Amino acid sequence: MTMRTDAPLKTSGAARYGLDVTPPGTVYGYVVTSTIAHGEITAMDVAAVRAAPGVLAVYTPFDPLPLRTPMSPLLGETWVPLQDTEVTYYGQPVGFVVAETFEQARDAALLVEVTYDRRPARTSLHAGLADALDAPPSLHGEPPTLQVLADGVESIEDALAASAVRVDATYETATQNHAAMEPHSAVAVWEDGRLTLYSGTQGSDLQAAQLAQALDVEPARVRALNPFVGGAFGGKGHAGVSAFLGAAAARDLGRPVKAALTREQVFTATATRPATVQRLRIGADADGRLTALAHDSWSSTTATPSFVEPTSHGTSREWYTTPNLAITQKMVPLHVPPTTFMRAPGEAPGSFALESAMDELAVALGMDPVELRLRNSSIAPPGRDLQWSSKHLDECFTLGAQRFGWAQRHRRRVDRDWLVGYGTATAMFPALRFPCAVRITLRPDDTAEVATSGADPGTGLRTVLSLFGAEALAIPPERVEAALGDSTLPPGGMSGGSTATASVGSAIAVGAPAVIDALVAVATGPGGLFEGREVAYADGRVFAEGDSATFGEVLRAAGRDEVTAIGTSAPGEEMTKHSFSSFGAQFCEVRVHRWTREVRMSRMLGVFDAGRIVHEQAARSQIMGGMIWGVSAALHEGLEIEESGRPANGDFASYLIPVNADIPTVDVEFVRYPDTLHNPVGARGLGEISVVGVAAAIANAVYDATGIRVRRIPIVLEDLLE
Amino acid sequence: MRIELTVNGVAREADDVWEGESLLYALRERLGLPGSKNACEQGECGSCTVYLDGAPVCACLVAAGQAQGREVTTVEGLAGDGLDPVQQAFVEKGAVQCGFCTPGFLMSTKDLLDRDPAPSDPEIREALAGNLCRCTGYEKILDAVRTAAANR
Repeated sequence: MTMRTDAPLKTSGAARYGLDVTPPGTVYGYVVTSTIAHGEITAMDVAAVRAAPGVLAVYTPFDPLPLRTPMSPLLGETWVPLQDTEVTYYGQPVGFVVAETFEQARDAALLVEVTYDRRPARTSLHAGLADALDAPPSLHGEPPTLQVLADGVESIEDALAASAVRVDATYETATQNHAAMEPHSAVAVWEDGRLTLYSGTQGSDLQAAQLAQALDVEPARVRALNPFVGGAFGGKGHAGVSAFLGAAAARDLGRPVKAALTREQVFTATATRPATVQRLRIGADADGRLTALAHDSWSSTTATPSFVEPTSHGTSREWYTTPNLAITQKMVPLHVPPTTFMRAPGEAPGSFALESAMDELAVALGMDPVELRLRNSSIAPPGRDLQWSSKHLDECFTLGAQRFGWAQRHRRRVDRDWLVGYGTATAMFPALRFPCAVRITLRPDDTAEVATSGADPGTGLRTVLSLFGAEALAIPPERVEAALGDSTLPPGGMSGGSTATASVGSAIAVGAPAVIDALVAVATGPGGLFEGREVAYADGRVFAEGDSATFGEVLRAAGRDEVTAIGTSAPGEEMTKHSFSSFGAQFCEVRVHRWTREVRMSRMLGVFDAGRIVHEQAARSQIMGGMIWGVSAALHEGLEIEESGRPANGDFASYLIPVNADIPTVDVEFVRYPDTLHNPVGARGLGEISVVGVAAAIANAVYDATGIRVRRIPIVLEDLLE
Repeated sequence: MRIELTVNGVAREADDVWEGESLLYALRERLGLPGSKNACEQGECGSCTVYLDGAPVCACLVAAGQAQGREVTTVEGLAGDGLDPVQQAFVEKGAVQCGFCTPGFLMSTKDLLDRDPAPSDPEIREALAGNLCRCTGYEKILDAVRTAAANR
């Protein structure tokens, strides 16, 4: 198997992330953040700041850097800082100090005196449930409230009332922060009216476009570079405050500006996954077939509503066959940090609720939870005609149950002082792809380059580009160089939504034949090695009758530096023929300490139907990482927001995420059915589905071990005290 | 103030260092060695782990001035030529995702194997518990540490 091509650079310390660049003359910016959650800034005294050693500039809403609000089709509006005096959350950027060194900037920033006209802050999701608002339409354009009822059924309540077995329970999930290891940062350099920005994001062309709009310069004058990105998980889709303020200040001062958020600032000045409350009502007949499913969701959002966690639409809308379905999605505007998409937005917290409720139904029915899920597997989303293109969820469950030893779960399991329990859950995540362009270049030294702007936030996309290029050109991957993370390359869009592999693969499938055609034209054209002859391309060579040459030889003979073609692709007609999703079955074993009530996940297995697996090693890393994210959601992480709006645990000492010592064996298996109905390479994406269902599987295992049903994550010791 | 220290076997100096400045800042911004990463600035994540006179430390918690006259080793100096067996094992096992935590994991792993050439799995997990990986690539990292132990 090909190694990850980024690994040697990342292990030697040679990989250059955004902040690792220090151009001559670099000065340093430090962001000042609000200390109230709601109100207006009436004054900012910066006299002492200006007098502090090394300070070059202080920017505030009273002396701002001009920035316009960027708008993009994919991301919508992106907030730009310091443009008004309104404060709508604790930790909101309200100032920017630039000095000769970082420590001078930080030291001076502490001298800023802000005067607020403070207003009451709404910070409690619970307190806001009663007057929640309808959420905007879903990503698919469906309304927040949606019903599919069988003929003759008047209401979902009637359908529930008529069901033989019913579950009615309410679940809660915590606010989370992406907490990528690389804090949001930027180094901005202006030269002759052109900006070069080094900043880790999920799409270099998207970053450049947002900066160009914000700074009111021609898009061609902004170059965004992100060859290496220290994790993103949805938190680096929008351009961040470091990039906006750094770029604008660098233009104002005529010096390169380096700016990074501190870890504490990352927790407020970027964005979070909203907290949710979800009520599930499920009705079934005595055989466990669903007769009614109602999923009502509430999500926190910002004071001026922005992203809403689509838990109902992301799960119950599509997952199970039911004649009667009713979902609602409401939002509660709060004075809390911005909300945005985070790994499996909707599906991750939504599956905690739905898959916990399915477990409760299995208990009520006295039925094997695996059997309950097999019995209700959908062939299409309820009320839609388009069937799943390729669904092997049953195989995931049967293979997984066998491999995990699911049949052993009936035994009374106590291991010394540990109570042992098993849990399972379904995982689904839609198969998506975005418009994407990839340039393929053949070079005289018999190497090729595959280039797209995009980003590899750690997923392995750089390696995947080389592999797809090699496959399409029928040459070894070692001869295919990937160029990625530069907005001047053809637009690759966003590495997000588990789309990148399918998107670039589809574009390469278009671009490779085009570049081969161009090569053949060179070979057979005037002065070509095989001028006027019939030729064919195979394995990196051009064949004429009785003769052949490598593509490099063809180019050298013609005196050509390269031949190149750009392949583009976008979702198309396939969307009118099928529904598309990846599928998986999650299994886990937990141990709950009899006396301390500590919960340890002791063993887990995920079996996934995600189409073709392109790079085994990177794929397994993505999946295992996502599954551990699920463990984290279930047992570790949650951003606690105090009544004042201040995060109680916004740093790495108190926002818990698992470490090596928290994680035992994680087992992953794939059922391998390439989905060529979705895209020509048959891959459906892996980044997000892996986290889906895990938290429910763990909570279900905790119930199995203790008989205690915990309906709120993260699960804490107090939940399990008897 | 001026500091003089040995970094990766080379005598280095930096002028105008502020007393409160961290060793991490001095390495990254003054000495051109950005391999060590700044991810939390509170000693929680291990991304900035370097050796100070051979002992692993979080460079974010060490003042630059404390390194005066001492020897510092960073990820850039972990190997002589090519890659150290620990680095090689991380490459081979794909124990690298976004890569931002990787320098710290490498430093902690090499330190572990220097102290204990054949650690058990629980010992590895415990020894690396001070290093956060948000891609949570812990399984591959464990593979890599076992491989490095076997290859050394």
